Amino acid sequence: MLTIVIQLIINGLLLGGIYALISIGLTLIFGVLEIINFAHGEFLMLSMYASYWLFQLLGVDPYLSLLVVIPMFFLIGLVVQRIIIQPIIHAPPLNQIFVTVGLSLILQNVALFFWKADYRTVRTAYSTLCLKTSGLMISFPRLVAFLLALAIISILLIFLKRTYTGKAIRALAQERRAAMLMGINIYGTYRIAFGIGIACVGAAGAMLMPIYYAFPTVGALFVLIAFVVVVLGGYNSLVGALIGGLIIGIVEAFSGFFLSPHLKEAVYFVIFILILVFRPTGLFGRG
Amino acid sequence: MKMSFISRKTASNLFRPKFYFPLALLLLLLVLPILPRNPFYEDLIIMIFFWGALAAAWNLVGGFAGQISLGHTAFFGIGAYTSTLLYLKFSLSPWLGMLAGAGLAVLVAMGIGSPCFRLKSHFFALATIAFAEVLRHVASYWRGLTQGGVGLLIPFKPRIENFMFRSKIPYAYIALGLMLLIILVSYIIRNSRFGFYLISLREDQDAAESLGVKTSRCKLIALVISVLFTAIAGTFYAQYLLFIDPDTVFSLPFSIELPLLAIIGGLGTVIGPIIGAFILTPLDVLLRGWLGAISAGLNFIVYGTVLVVAVIYFPRGIAGWLRTWYESFLRRLPGAKLSLAIEKTVSSPLLTSETSDPEDSDPEDEEIKSPLFEAQSLNKHFGGLAAVKDVSFQIKKGEILGLIGPNGAGKTTVFNLITGFLSPDSGKIEFKGEAMTAVKPPHKVCIKHIGRTFQLVRPFNNMTVLENVMVGAFSRVKRTKEAREEATKVLDFIGLLEHSHSLASSLTIADRKKLELGRALATRPELLLLDEVVAGLNPRETEAIIGIIKAISNQGITLFIIEHVMKAIMTLSHRIIVLHHGEKIGEGTPAEISRDRRVIDAYLGEEYLA
Repeated sequence: MLTIVIQLIINGLLLGGIYALISIGLTLIFGVLEIINFAHGEFLMLSMYASYWLFQLLGVDPYLSLLVVIPMFFLIGLVVQRIIIQPIIHAPPLNQIFVTVGLSLILQNVALFFWKADYRTVRTAYSTLCLKTSGLMISFPRLVAFLLALAIISILLIFLKRTYTGKAIRALAQERRAAMLMGINIYGTYRIAFGIGIACVGAAGAMLMPIYYAFPTVGALFVLIAFVVVVLGGYNSLVGALIGGLIIGIVEAFSGFFLSPHLKEAVYFVIFILILVFRPTGLFGRG
Repeated sequence: MKMSFISRKTASNLFRPKFYFPLALLLLLLVLPILPRNPFYEDLIIMIFFWGALAAAWNLVGGFAGQISLGHTAFFGIGAYTSTLLYLKFSLSPWLGMLAGAGLAVLVAMGIGSPCFRLKSHFFALATIAFAEVLRHVASYWRGLTQGGVGLLIPFKPRIENFMFRSKIPYAYIALGLMLLIILVSYIIRNSRFGFYLISLREDQDAAESLGVKTSRCKLIALVISVLFTAIAGTFYAQYLLFIDPDTVFSLPFSIELPLLAIIGGLGTVIGPIIGAFILTPLDVLLRGWLGAISAGLNFIVYGTVLVVAVIYFPRGIAGWLRTWYESFLRRLPGAKLSLAIEKTVSSPLLTSETSDPEDSDPEDEEIKSPLFEAQSLNKHFGGLAAVKDVSFQIKKGEILGLIGPNGAGKTTVFNLITGFLSPDSGKIEFKGEAMTAVKPPHKVCIKHIGRTFQLVRPFNNMTVLENVMVGAFSRVKRTKEAREEATKVLDFIGLLEHSHSLASSLTIADRKKLELGRALATRPELLLLDEVVAGLNPRETEAIIGIIKAISNQGITLFIIEHVMKAIMTLSHRIIVLHHGEKIGEGTPAEISRDRRVIDAYLGEEYLA
C-alpha cells in the first residue's frame, strides 16, 4: 500500500510539473494584463503540433524542439497580443472574455481544418522507458518533462526578480497606474508578459508530446486544469501556481487510482467550488 | 371614466407606426412556419426560432445582468436528458418531463449560482465552463443511466402527448411560442424594477448596492429564469431530433453560440438576440453547407472570426445602430405625425412638476437633542495598518457634520464602515436608536435610510440620467411609473431635468456629481453621506453643488460630508470632526476647528490661520 501511495505521489508530482508550467503562463498573463486567456489551451495544442511536425518532417527530438518552439511561441505571443489583445486591454470584461473565446474557437478549428481530428503521437526510443527502483516505476519522459518544467520555471522566476523587464512586469502586475507613472512602457511590457506566458505554454506542449497525443481539442483538457490551478494558487502568484500545479497533479493521480480516471474532471471541479466558497483568494493569494 | 380613456388611447395607438409596425412583424412571424413547402426551409425556420429563444434566454443573465455564463449548455443538457430519460424509462410524457427538467435545472442553478456569483466576471465565466464540462464527463461516464457516448435514441411514435409530430409545423409553432414567451418576459423585465436592478448591477455592483439593490439575489433570479427556458429548449431539441448524446447537448461551442448571437444582435436589448438568430442561423446553415463540404471546422473559423471582430469593433451589435435607423424609418410611415403629437402630451407633465421634498419629515424639528446617529469606538485594521482607530462621534438630526483630514486619514473607511461596505473590527454603530453594526450588505443600510455617494463618481454609464435616478427611487416604490415620477422630481430638484434622456456617460464631471447626489437622494435617505462631492470642480460648479447641498439640508435631511475644499466645508458644516492617521484629533464648530493647534499642524497648515 505504501509503495502504491509513494508511486501515486511520484506520478502526480511528475504530471504536476507540466500543469504548473501551463498555469504559470496563464497566471502571468492574468496578473499583468488582467485578462484570462481562454485560448491558452489552444496554444498548448499548437505547440504540440509544432513539436510533432518538427519530429515527423525534420526528425527533431521533442526535447530538442524546445529550442525552436520556445522562441517561436514567444513571437506568436507578441503578435497575438499586438493584434488581438491590445485593442481590448481596457475594454469591459465581456469583450475581453469573448475575444479570447473567439480566438480559441478559431485556433481549434484551424487545427481541425489542417490536421483533421486524428490523434497523433510521437514515438521516440525513450517514450516507454521506465526507471525502476525498489518497486517504484518512474517514467523517463515524465521525469524529463518534470525537471525541464522546474528548470524553465526557475529561470522565469529569476528573470522576473533580477532583470529590469522582469521588475517592470512585476510592478505592472501589482499596480498598473503606479507602474505607468514610474515611466514603465506598459504596452511593451504587456506584450512581453503575454509573449512569455505563451512561450511557457508552448514549452509545456513540446514536453507533453512524447507522453501524450495531439488533437485539435486537446487544449480544452489541459486548460481546465490550468484554470483550477490558477484559482488554487491565488490568481496572481507564480509560486502559488507552481505549488497548485503539483497539488492538482497529485489529486489527479489519486482520484484516477481510487475513483476512476473518467471522474478526475469532476474532482477538479469540486475542488474548484470548495476553494471558491471557503477561500476565494486561493490557497496562496493575498487578502 | 378611466376605462374609456384607455380604450380611446389604444384605438389611436393602432394607427401609430410604433404600434402597427411591430404588430405586422408579429403577424409575419405567425405565418412564417406555414409558408415554406420544403423540409429544408421548414427546418431552417425552426432553428431560427430555437436559437432565438436560447439566445434571448441567455441574454437575461448575460446581457441584462452582465454575468457571462459560458456553461448554459449544462442546463440545456439537463433539460434534454431529464425529459428523455423519464420518457424512455418511465414513459412519462415529455411535456411533463420538460417541466421536471426545467425544475431540476433551476435547482442546480440555485446550488451552483450562489458560490459562482462571488467571482469576478472572468472567473465566473470560467466556473461555468468547468461546471458544464463536468456534466459532460458525468453523462459520458454514467453509462448505466445515459448509455454514455452512444447517446439516447427516442423511438418515433408521433402523438401529441409524446411531444412528437409527423409534420414539422407543430415543432415550428412550439419553438415560436417559446421564443415569443421569452421576448415577452425579457420585455417585462426590462421595463420593471427588476430589470433596472439587473442593468444597474451590471454597470456597477457597489453603486447598485448603495442604492438598495440586493445584487446577489437579483443575479440569482436572473439566472434561474434564464436557466428555466434553456432547459425547456433542451427538451424541445431532444424531441425534435429524437437523439441526444453528451457531446452535442453538453458542448462548449453550444455555450459560446448563445452569447455570440446575443452580441451580434445587440447585447442587453430585448430584441437583439432574436435579430442575431435571424441573421446568423441561416448564415450558419449556409456556411455548414458550403464550407462543411470543403472541410470540417471551416464554419467555426468564420464564426470565431466574426465573434472576435464584432467584439472589438462593434460591441453594441446590430440592434445598437438599427435603433436609430428604425426610428427614422417609423417616422416615414403613415400615421407618424399623430404619434409625435401624442408623445408631446405624454412628456409635458414632467416639466411642470414642482419641487417637493422627497422626505416628508418636518424641518422645524430643530430640537438637537437625541443623536440621529452614533458611532462608538470604531476600529478597522487592514493588515498591520490601523485605518480607523477608536473613533467615536454623534450626528444630530438635521445638522451638517463635516469630516476632514489629510489623505489616507481614514475618512472614506469611516463611510464604508457606516454603509456596510466594510465591517468594523470592533465598535458600535447606532442609527435612530437601532444597532447597525450587524447590518452588513450595503443594500440593507440603504433601506434603513442611510444614503451615500462615492469619492470617484460611479454613474451607471449605459443608462440614461433618468434611469440612473430611477434605480435609487425603486428602493422605495415598486412600479416603474412611480419611480419615473419620483426620479423626475429629484432631477428637477438637482437641476438635471434637461439631461434626463442623455446617457450618464455623456455628462460633464460636475453633472455626474449632481447625478450621484440625485441617485442617493431618490432612495429617500434620512442621513446622507457625501464623499468629496465638490472635489475637482471649478468655482461656479462648486457654488451650484453647495446650493444643492444646502437645499437638501433644508428639507430636513441630515448630512455627513467629507471634503477637502475648505471653503465648502467651512460654509456648509455646523460641526466638523478631524481625522488624522485614523484617529479623531479634533471636533467642534468650523471656527473652533480653524483655531485648533493640532488640526492646523496635521492638516490645515499655517497659511490657513493667516
